[in-house]
Amino acid sequence: MTAPALAPEMAVEEHTAAFRAHIEAGGQVEATDWLPDEYRRRLLRFIEMHANSEIMGALPERDWIAKAPSLKRKLGLTAKIQDEVGHAQLIYRVAEDLGKPREQMFADLIGGKSKFHNVFHYPTQSWGDVGAISWLVDGAAILSQSGLLRCSYAPYARIMKRICWEEAVHLKHGEDICLTLAGGTPLQRAMLQEAIDRWWEPLMMFHGPPTPPEKDGDLAWRIKAKPNEELRQEFLDRYVPQMREIGLSIPDPACRKDAEMGRWQYTEPDWAKLAQIGNGAGPASAQRLAFRRLSYDEGAWLRAALLGEAAPAA
Amino acid sequence: MAVFEVFSQQDPGGPYVHAGSVVAPDITLAGQYARNSFSRREDAFRLWIVPREAIHEEADLDLLRPPGDHRYRLGRYYRANVEKRKRLKTRVAEAAAEGRLA
Repeated sequence: MTAPALAPEMAVEEHTAAFRAHIEAGGQVEATDWLPDEYRRRLLRFIEMHANSEIMGALPERDWIAKAPSLKRKLGLTAKIQDEVGHAQLIYRVAEDLGKPREQMFADLIGGKSKFHNVFHYPTQSWGDVGAISWLVDGAAILSQSGLLRCSYAPYARIMKRICWEEAVHLKHGEDICLTLAGGTPLQRAMLQEAIDRWWEPLMMFHGPPTPPEKDGDLAWRIKAKPNEELRQEFLDRYVPQMREIGLSIPDPACRKDAEMGRWQYTEPDWAKLAQIGNGAGPASAQRLAFRRLSYDEGAWLRAALLGEAAPAA
Repeated sequence: MAVFEVFSQQDPGGPYVHAGSVVAPDITLAGQYARNSFSRREDAFRLWIVPREAIHEEADLDLLRPPGDHRYRLGRYYRANVEKRKRLKTRVAEAAAEGRLA
């Protein structure tokens, strides 16, 4: 089953309908196929935000490279951060193919015009945060990213294989940090619990508000595979028991699995707050964007030199 | 005549895997030959035909396999997590049964 070819005698509406039917039947398309405008626009917005999140996601952990407690941890952390930047490279490339130049995507990111994921708008306050991010934020990300392996846009689905594989290593690195702290001194255990207390709200917001699946256009075009609430339920199913069995407590008294419904109950996150954070009003948003801007400006001479151009005047 | 390398996608959305090469006077005929050689049984969904001269091979092992121990980049480096978790779980359960903190 290949994408319907663009026949000149077909009207755009007719061709869009054929394309939609192909996607809904589980079909995939390639970069060189004809894509309806709405599909291209949604795909670009989704993939660009993913790429932005990978490159911004390197920053919260970057702060801890110099403060890692051992050489082993420093190597593991550096490798993870390098992977996140590498993921951004792969994903920006896919986004570029959809028609938006990388320079424009970067300008929009550092200009605050495009978004990056809510979890990267928070400060990292302790080594416990580094463990919690690498285990639980990456754990939450793997759940949504593994849905992208079946994305209707094949070039995106293909690079997700590598990304998911690398994220799985990050998860183990983070789990190791958390297991070590949880099995350590009272001070270490408290440090981890405090990190969990801080990161619980961003984690509960991670997969987004419980938008009804029929109102989620990204699902309809099979850009993503699972509704937000289903991903959150999967997250709770997998990680709450794993956290409790190592002695961590969940900082939400309402968090429990309803045996009859088989669904997790929890305190509804403040979705208005999530929207504000996504728009750049998070506790570390300004600082992160300022750093990304600085790093982009500082690299300008190198990008110019690689193109054989004269370096811009300092 | 020129050499064209052929990459075949065997499942929709799957990776393009090198299948072999053909010799042809132009890229259109190269496509026909590629189909005849590599997809007689409808085993390809799509074929990519690439002039061999367009392919640059990177095979410098100093670049691809630099010296040094990079096991920390692999999942199996963290194999001990399973045992660590098991020990901690027992400790937490025992402490809970005795009504104290682990």
